[in-house]
Amino acid sequence: MDKITKKTANASVWQIAKAVISAFMGIRKKSDLENDAATLKPAQVIIGGIIGGLLFVIGVLLLVKLVLS
Amino acid sequence: MAAVHGDAHGHGHDDHHPSGIMRWVTTTNHKDIGTMYLWFSFAMFLVGGTLAMGIRAELYQPGIQILQPELFNQFTTLHGLIMVFGAIMPAFVGFANWQVPMMIGAPDMAFARMNNWSFWLLPVAATLLVSSFFVPGGAAAGGWTFYPPLSTQGGLGVDLMIFSVHILGASSIMGSINIITTILNMRAPGMTMMKMPMFVWTWLITAYLLVLVMPVLAGVVTMLLTDRHFGTSFFNAAGGGDPVMFQHIFWFFGHPEVYIMILPSFGIVSEVIPTFSRKPLFGYSSMVYATASIAILSCVVWAHHMFTAGMPTVGQLFFMYATMLIAVPTGVKVFNWTATMWRGSMTFETPMLFAIGFIFLFVIGGFSGVICAIVPIDIQVQDTYYVIAHFHYVLVSGSLFALFAGAYYWIPKWTGRMYNETLGKWHFWLSMFFFNMTFFVQHFLGLAGMPRRIPDYNLQFADFNMISSLGAFGFGLTQLLFLYIMINCIRSGEKAPQMPWDGATTLEWTHLPTPAPYHSFEKPPIVK
Repeated sequence: MDKITKKTANASVWQIAKAVISAFMGIRKKSDLENDAATLKPAQVIIGGIIGGLLFVIGVLLLVKLVLS
Repeated sequence: MAAVHGDAHGHGHDDHHPSGIMRWVTTTNHKDIGTMYLWFSFAMFLVGGTLAMGIRAELYQPGIQILQPELFNQFTTLHGLIMVFGAIMPAFVGFANWQVPMMIGAPDMAFARMNNWSFWLLPVAATLLVSSFFVPGGAAAGGWTFYPPLSTQGGLGVDLMIFSVHILGASSIMGSINIITTILNMRAPGMTMMKMPMFVWTWLITAYLLVLVMPVLAGVVTMLLTDRHFGTSFFNAAGGGDPVMFQHIFWFFGHPEVYIMILPSFGIVSEVIPTFSRKPLFGYSSMVYATASIAILSCVVWAHHMFTAGMPTVGQLFFMYATMLIAVPTGVKVFNWTATMWRGSMTFETPMLFAIGFIFLFVIGGFSGVICAIVPIDIQVQDTYYVIAHFHYVLVSGSLFALFAGAYYWIPKWTGRMYNETLGKWHFWLSMFFFNMTFFVQHFLGLAGMPRRIPDYNLQFADFNMISSLGAFGFGLTQLLFLYIMINCIRSGEKAPQMPWDGATTLEWTHLPTPAPYHSFEKPPIVK
């Protein structure tokens, strides 16, 4: 069981998004985490994280525009 | 389960390394190099601390008594540079060298010779930095952030500082590449990423941050160098450049740098708290996620250091919001540490005291950080002692206290001897008392308007400055007690039991003898 699980490809975009969003919040259910660890590849998480970071920046910018309008 | 490696090799001292000084010059052993990093950083801590004593001695009373203003500015500048680049950062790399291979079940670091080179660059850089006091014009005096135009106008000392920063940066980049490669490629079978100890995780993320921002620092000091000597005008408005651009580039390095100095402390505290609470870390995965999140956010908040430098309102609001949001993952961490302690069978040995002291005081520093992040308040308090108080709460009672916690926690594993618990507790309580005496009052000084980086001040600031100086002298002396405790432990401490902390669960405690043999995990352990 503890052997490094072979990554099964094709994690859905939504699953990556969920992992990244929960990472930004810093909170994750253990079962979801184990599922992530089994199915997500590091590259997917890193790319997801970069996109998440960009979306975060755009989101804060939009909020600033809203406040100033 | 505890397959002990190293016993088969006598006492693990059968290796064939040169003796005497050449052992240390030529060593490629991660433990030797870790030891050198730690002694180097402590030596630099004493140098930087001596400069701090000079600063506080001058500020003991209003008026100029001891240091002329030019020398005072050199003291503040070099105090900052030495503490950041010479003391705190190398100390964490020392911990990484000792602990990362042992915690992931690797025999050594991935690039053992580069590891040696990373270390031996440091004394060179430190010599350049410290010797700059003795060149014509003295050391750099424009503050540790070396903003132009001050840094383009300074003398030879500034050039020495620039070269020193180049070398330190090269050392850090090599160290980080080494740590990343070790963690990604040399984990024991079964040690999946999500089973790595938190200290290893925080260092992995820190190393990525270092690789990201250290070249930026190297770039900006090179631009400074060419502005000074080769006729460029990157930061000279008269030549079409912009001094504010320096601040942007510097702080794009500088703010992640703050997290580079705090994330490994989070890692150490995340090892110490569960051990002395005798419970697993609460929310391990959320700690990993929060660390990654802090690292990403740290790259988009840099301009909160320059709210008063001139910036459109859109920029001010963006950086204010982004900065305040960092409090969310940081809060997650504090919550998790508290939840780990909740209903644990806690004992309060010195490492635990420093870890709890860390949480308590780091939260104060974190909150004053949120206060500084609010633009209208920052415009009032920027460049005052409030900011000094804020970042000393983060870097002294944050990074330094975590380093102390880690040193007391792992010294039995490193040396096979126990430190003196009574003296350790004295060290903690004296540090706690004098630290707050030094820095808490600086909040009041800052709110009252006392500017930073000045050798003299108005009479109304006299009382708090005297209290702060007395606290600083006490804090400085207390650190000599730490030196005594460590030397006493290494030379004549009681023999440490195999497992001095019964709550420890990481590989270096469960799978290695105490003290750790010179070569550990020649055969990787199987992690279940």
